[in-house]
Amino acid sequence: MTFTARELRQLALPLLACIAFLAAGAALIAWSESRRVAEARTLAEARVERAQAKDRLMRIAEEEKEVSEKLEVYKRLKALGILGEEQRLEWADAMARIRTERELPDLRYRVERQRMLKSVAGKPAKVDFYASTMRVELALLHEGDLLHFLSDLRNSGNAYYSVRNCSVSRTGAPASATGLAPRLRAECEIDLITILDRAAKA
Amino acid sequence: MKRLVYFTADDHSVYASSRGRLVLEAKFSGDDLGVTAFREYLSGHRGALFYAVADLAGEDFHEELIPYLRGGDRELVVQRRLAQRYRDTRLATALSLGYVSGERRNERLLLTSFTNTQRLTPWLDALAESEAKLAGMYSVPLLAPALAARLGARGGRCFVVSVNGAGLRQCYVDQGRLRFARLERTVDMVPEALANFVRSETGRLAQYLSTLRVLPREGPPVQVIVVAPPGQRGAFERTLVSDTRLSFLTIDQGEAVRRAGVSSAPPGMGAEQLYLHLAVSRAPREQFARREDRRSYYLWQLQRGLVAAGTLGLVACSLYAGASWLNVVDMRGEVVSLQRETQTTQQEYQRITSAFPVTQTTTDNLRATVVEFTEIARHSGAPEHALVYLSKVLDDFPQIELDALQWRIERPGEGAARRAANAAAAPGAQESATAEVIEITGRVGAMRRSDYRAITAEVQRFADALRADPHYQVVRMQLPFDVTSEGTLSGDIGNAAETGESPRFTIALARNIP
Repeated sequence: MTFTARELRQLALPLLACIAFLAAGAALIAWSESRRVAEARTLAEARVERAQAKDRLMRIAEEEKEVSEKLEVYKRLKALGILGEEQRLEWADAMARIRTERELPDLRYRVERQRMLKSVAGKPAKVDFYASTMRVELALLHEGDLLHFLSDLRNSGNAYYSVRNCSVSRTGAPASATGLAPRLRAECEIDLITILDRAAKA
Repeated sequence: MKRLVYFTADDHSVYASSRGRLVLEAKFSGDDLGVTAFREYLSGHRGALFYAVADLAGEDFHEELIPYLRGGDRELVVQRRLAQRYRDTRLATALSLGYVSGERRNERLLLTSFTNTQRLTPWLDALAESEAKLAGMYSVPLLAPALAARLGARGGRCFVVSVNGAGLRQCYVDQGRLRFARLERTVDMVPEALANFVRSETGRLAQYLSTLRVLPREGPPVQVIVVAPPGQRGAFERTLVSDTRLSFLTIDQGEAVRRAGVSSAPPGMGAEQLYLHLAVSRAPREQFARREDRRSYYLWQLQRGLVAAGTLGLVACSLYAGASWLNVVDMRGEVVSLQRETQTTQQEYQRITSAFPVTQTTTDNLRATVVEFTEIARHSGAPEHALVYLSKVLDDFPQIELDALQWRIERPGEGAARRAANAAAAPGAQESATAEVIEITGRVGAMRRSDYRAITAEVQRFADALRADPHYQVVRMQLPFDVTSEGTLSGDIGNAAETGESPRFTIALARNIP
């Protein structure tokens, strides 16, 4: 069937209507599909969240035990002054006190500037670990002085003391009549580690 | 709104049809004046949808056999046969009566047309000129099979007899297909006379068809469905008594109208209302009008088809989108349910954790702080343990005099000496642990400097003693005398004074920090 120009004009409007209807239908499908895909994603996320929440609830007994255990350590760190800002004056006091108490002939130290050791992600805030390296030079009457010094230093708190190296050498000085001349010399490098928990309550 | 043009020998009427209602809109005489009036009528109904129904005497029916063909070939053969049979084929058509199997498969056709088409063509031309949409040109016999089915024909052979405005219409239907029809003019008669006329004419028709062998001479009686004019059923039933040849079934026109689905018609209208209604409601595929006469109708159908296709597509898309949306609604419901469940679980978690020991930080930070600190502490060392161990070993070696000690922490990847020692101990093993290393520098006193064997043996013994604890490993040892092939061996034999210092040794001891 061949159409005349007039007939084709008569068919134009229905044809346009047909195309418009089909386009509207396609748009409707595209829109509903996009909504369906988005909703499916939300559903998947909701399922994961629920699974995580349930899993967390199921592990709560474990968590309670873990919190109890870790809380003891945390409290200890807090009590020792390891948690919190650096207390450099306290360190200086401690060094002076140890020298006096242990009657060390000579004690020199120098604390370097603080550096970031590690930063760990927490919730809601991170936990930063800092270290300040202290170089100590000691004049020792005997080897035990070094052990006592390190022990006293640890007990003084205000940081966690991680000894990096220590060397002991003879001074070469002859034993005096009184026997109080230092015969040994020790040099140590010690990291003074402090922790800053940014979520900790004051 | 559909319109019906009803052609009879006397006059032509136009009826409007809508939902089974037939309304007489116009009536025209069959002459040229009527055609002119019809044109005027059409000018007020341009583009209207028309169905034409002819109820005329002189309709020809002729059976033909054609080869079994399909598509264009069949159409060509049919047109040729029509042209051979009729001088004017404008109002001619062929009805298929089925196929005959023999040596060759053939198709039986019933060719039909009006003997005088000239009476109708001016009216069809008027319709075409007015751009009216002509759905089809039907004759009453073409509609008879549909009426027979509506009136309860049992199948097989039957006569449908009705009293129309044009006269007594008799149609012979075989297996639901029209085989023959005739129209006999009637005059006003009393019911009994009309019934007798019906009986005699039906008998004559049966006799005629038997003569033509269209109707078998033997066999069960042929059903005759007679539509009696309103109120005349009783008289018809009394007269139309069945016999061995014909079995009459008389139906009142009112009942027939109901069965056909006509809801209302002009008063006094004959049985033609049944055919007119069937023409618009159950139009058969076969009709008389040419393709050219129906062009506007095709175009209109195409327009409607396009819109319908678009609408159908939109509906289908809407259904699909609706199904998708239902899915979305379901998912939303599930999401809300899951979120509620999650919230409940979290609240339960909060409730339980609120009974936990009071902490000064969050659980996560507590965990992060302690775990990381423990890790740092684990890799940290203290020299006390090594110094005490060394001190204990030295108690058994009074000849050994230490000059210097160096203690240090070596992390994985540091310390070449320890790496070499580890490689020697376990080839291929990876160095993974932090270790403390103590490097001892000393001398063997109370021995003659020239007694290098004794000095070397003493240092070796000292080194062996240091290895007594399996956690400690001698990773490097430099003897007072270099007895290796790579080193330089020197001596000062015969010098009685032996004033020089005792030669030094160095031992590096390592212990992995667990």
